[in-house]
Amino acid sequence: MRLICLLFLIVSLSGCYQNKTLTKNTLIYCTDSQPTSFNPQISDDIASLDATTHQLFNRLVKVDPETNEFVPDLAEHWQQSEDKLRYRFTLRQHVSFHQTDYFTPTRYLNADDILFSFNRMFDHQHPYHTVNNKTVNYFYNHPFTELLSTINKIDEHTVEFVLTKPDVTLLANLAAHYAVIHSAEYAQQLLAEGHPEKIDFKPIGTGPFVFKSFDNNGTIRYKKNKQYWHSVSNIEDLIFFTNPSATKRYTKLLSGECDAISYPAASQLQTISENKQISLNSKSTSNISLLAFNTKAEKISDPRVRQALAQAIDTETISQAVYFQSAMQTDTLLSKQSWAFKPRFNEQLFNPEQAKKELSTTPFNFTQPLQIILPDGANVFNPNFHKTAELIQANLLAIGVNSTIVSLNDNTLQSRLNSGDYDIYLTGINVHIKDPDSIFRPLLSCHSTPETGNTSYWCDAKTQDLLDKSITENNFAQRIKNYYQIQDEVYLQRPYLPIAHVLRLDAISKSILNVEVNPLTGINFQNAIKQDLN
Amino acid sequence: MLSFLVRRLNLLVITAFILSILAFAIDRTIMVHHQTQPALQQDYVLQYLSYLWHILSGDFGLSALDQQPLLQRGLTFFASTLELCLVALVFSCIIAIPLGLLAGLFRNTALDYGIMTIAIIGLALPVFWVGVMAVLLPSVWGDILPVDGNMSLVYDVPLVTGFLLIDTLFVTAQYGLFAFFDRVAHLILPASVLSFFLIAEIVRLTRHSMTMVMRSNYIQTAYAKGFSRTKIVFKHALNNALPPIIPQLRLQLSTILSFAMTIEIVFNLNGIGTWLFNSLKTGDYHALPAGMLIITGFILMFSIAIEIAMVIISPIRRGSLYANK
Repeated sequence: MRLICLLFLIVSLSGCYQNKTLTKNTLIYCTDSQPTSFNPQISDDIASLDATTHQLFNRLVKVDPETNEFVPDLAEHWQQSEDKLRYRFTLRQHVSFHQTDYFTPTRYLNADDILFSFNRMFDHQHPYHTVNNKTVNYFYNHPFTELLSTINKIDEHTVEFVLTKPDVTLLANLAAHYAVIHSAEYAQQLLAEGHPEKIDFKPIGTGPFVFKSFDNNGTIRYKKNKQYWHSVSNIEDLIFFTNPSATKRYTKLLSGECDAISYPAASQLQTISENKQISLNSKSTSNISLLAFNTKAEKISDPRVRQALAQAIDTETISQAVYFQSAMQTDTLLSKQSWAFKPRFNEQLFNPEQAKKELSTTPFNFTQPLQIILPDGANVFNPNFHKTAELIQANLLAIGVNSTIVSLNDNTLQSRLNSGDYDIYLTGINVHIKDPDSIFRPLLSCHSTPETGNTSYWCDAKTQDLLDKSITENNFAQRIKNYYQIQDEVYLQRPYLPIAHVLRLDAISKSILNVEVNPLTGINFQNAIKQDLN
Repeated sequence: MLSFLVRRLNLLVITAFILSILAFAIDRTIMVHHQTQPALQQDYVLQYLSYLWHILSGDFGLSALDQQPLLQRGLTFFASTLELCLVALVFSCIIAIPLGLLAGLFRNTALDYGIMTIAIIGLALPVFWVGVMAVLLPSVWGDILPVDGNMSLVYDVPLVTGFLLIDTLFVTAQYGLFAFFDRVAHLILPASVLSFFLIAEIVRLTRHSMTMVMRSNYIQTAYAKGFSRTKIVFKHALNNALPPIIPQLRLQLSTILSFAMTIEIVFNLNGIGTWLFNSLKTGDYHALPAGMLIITGFILMFSIAIEIAMVIISPIRRGSLYANK
């Protein structure tokens, strides 16, 4: 009996388990996936950007979210030379790096840190260039390396960027997520310790939050940076928590265990938007969900076959049934906001009768089923891969084409992609800067592998030529024309079928104010304020 | 006594040997199929011996994800699973033993049938289904209890023992008892779900044991002496009805553990079940033999410890000490 009393006592006591004073200065952001590293220079997945760019680091310049102009961040001001080849940046003084239990800075930020951060990326001889290995793939696709000729240290607080040719995109590149500034002193310390790889997993930056810990359950803890050179954050403890289930994340948002969640379930958007305690933040992105036709697979190597299959797939229904309001249906790779976007009016792609007719004129073998491979579970590109695949399967069956659906986990998926043993792959691509090259090159270049994005094994001399010409093209009109041609080529040859442009969605409790979400560089909690609504 | 111990430990050694061969086989299969390490040009016996040596010296290998030692990781997660099992066991004993005793005392009455019906329903309901239903509860009744995670993220509890109920008591200077209560609150729902099955099992066992005791001669004698029913039950029957349940529960240990692992996945608790499941998903396959060894090792040691303890406390069982002599 005494035990029963004790049990009830414990149950009733735990009713008051929530401690208001503790939660007041703590902000918990529940995300769908874990960061792959804590350095946006080497990781470009959304989870890594969210966890790093704005929280831990600063860049030389940033984009003002309201005016869209470049404003100073770590650089106080800058000037351009007459010949437009040199940019001189004067650095802010008395900016200190994070002090943690693994690093104590002895000096303020200076030109060496800028040189270290950029040379790591583009100097192949740099001791950190090959650290954590990923740089090899990543920088291949990047215009940054082509852009810069050298970076000079003028004095302790002045650096000069020398370009290979006049290029206006330098500032845009410096404001991108990969242009964050690391501590050269910390890098030196790690080299001396013999663990240079730690630089990307135990980060040191100048940002508003200091990295505290990351455990294998996907919990990242940050503390307020009390020495922050700009206004110090109102949030004492910032916590990122990973839970892949969108429903669980939403439940935790409702119960107050999360203050903000990323990517709420597409099917719950209606309910969430009706909840007065929660604000739904949606930002259009250039991230696209698409279907890759493996052009090296025998069954669909004929462009007419791919064209017919693409015609049979009803992307409109998919975007309604799978994405609800979380994406916009599309028929082009570029988003409508892009300057290189070629509009296609009065062209309705979906036409099953036509598709059936055309497919029968090709030597397509109807008896062999097509193999559709997809990741198991969901990610930011697709809230439900399997449902999408089933809709596609039904569409294909309507024109007499059989198909099998194969869900693979991340591990087996990668080796399957590399082996090229598939016909259709459901995927998507992240876009990080507003340049068409950043989407076309990974998808269409001959040098790009399935790992870097070219899952259709597409390699075509004409497209490659257009791609290469466009990045060195000085005439803007010609560049647009080139990209128009590439889009036409994609339309005719059909290595990809775009399905939808995905929105970036975050559901944030009304008690949290001033959270900024940038679709390119990630979420920003620097100015966040937590109010007590009760 | 010595020969008994030797016999028991012999069994342990043989079972452990078979298990280690199994773990070794899994480990090598992974190595061959996923090429996680360069193939060794040695025959399997030598490879096995070196594998065994590594395991005995506590080196279960490193996680492919973050190069942390698997043994330490596995034990931390296992501690959390054990904690869940223990709390569930306490929960269910508190509820089930009185019920079982009542059912045994009032055998074949309406009360007995009522209790047994509930017990059978508990046995029939699949645990994972009950778990999913329990997760939905807070959305029906408002957020009374947390349904997700080991404890609230607000509390940063450093790892000491792995048993969070104990670890939270080390941080009282920082958080007071809030961290402890938070952990208790997070345990209530999963532990209740897990105890669902346990309650059914314990009620059945207690009822049976109580019936047996009440039929025995010394109870009849006590009745004949004119003792009151209350005195007989509390003074004589209870003491003898409860001990036989313990070895029966021991047999349920592996079932309880596997149910706990399922429940962890439903409630998103960081236990060994979630760990192994995630390792499978992320391709950290070397965690599988390590997890298997940790779980089976625990079950083995635990059952032998119980057996030895039973021999020590129960005179009837001591007979087996002198068996085959």
